[in-house]
Amino acid sequence: MIAAALVLAAPVLADEAVAPLPRDTADAAVIRGSIAFRTYCVLCHGAEGKGDGRAAKMYTPRPANLTVSPFNDTYKEMIIRGGGASVGRSAFMPPWGDELTDEQIRDVVAFLRELRKTGK
Amino acid sequence: MMFRSVSALVALAALAVAVAVPAHAGDHPVEQVKKTFSVPVLKAKVGDTVTFKNDDEFAHNVFSLSETQNFDLGSYKKGETRQLKLTNAGTIEVECAIHPEMKMKIEVSK
Repeated sequence: MIAAALVLAAPVLADEAVAPLPRDTADAAVIRGSIAFRTYCVLCHGAEGKGDGRAAKMYTPRPANLTVSPFNDTYKEMIIRGGGASVGRSAFMPPWGDELTDEQIRDVVAFLRELRKTGK
Repeated sequence: MMFRSVSALVALAALAVAVAVPAHAGDHPVEQVKKTFSVPVLKAKVGDTVTFKNDDEFAHNVFSLSETQNFDLGSYKKGETRQLKLTNAGTIEVECAIHPEMKMKIEVSK
């Protein structure tokens, strides 16, 4: 009787272990990242990440066009966390490490990866 | 008689100095604390300065895209200050790039 119950229960447990929770999927990270991007980054980088936000005209050099960014995820995370000055780039890119959580920074990087792929 | 003349001369000289020397430009301190500007609306004059001080534990920024005067004073840490000299009359909407909810206005008169 107990053995039969275990057999019946096992497939359910296995399914739960394999299937990621909705919030842990790559798609969810991109969606969350897009929200953070549109809250914090859009001012300079623009809604499409092309470096043409409403504040962009004030800066030389202009904010980066993230749809063609050559940098990898690790470097992007460094810039986001420490700001432009921390990697010898524009000091007008603020440090976001105190404002965004680690998860939010990873989510923004996931969104930027998607931007780079789609170019929009 | 002589004493009166000297007094009048001294008074005239003092008046001339008062007219010749422009009024000393004022400095207006504004703290950034608990993700707010300590002064929501600041009234100031052209030539005055505004000193922003970060009293939070994390970085802040000060910028404006207003037509009256646009600027970005950059990002700065707790305890640090940034100074803005007001160059034009009008209204300046000031924001913090790191905390989009932070806003204040500076009404600058001539």
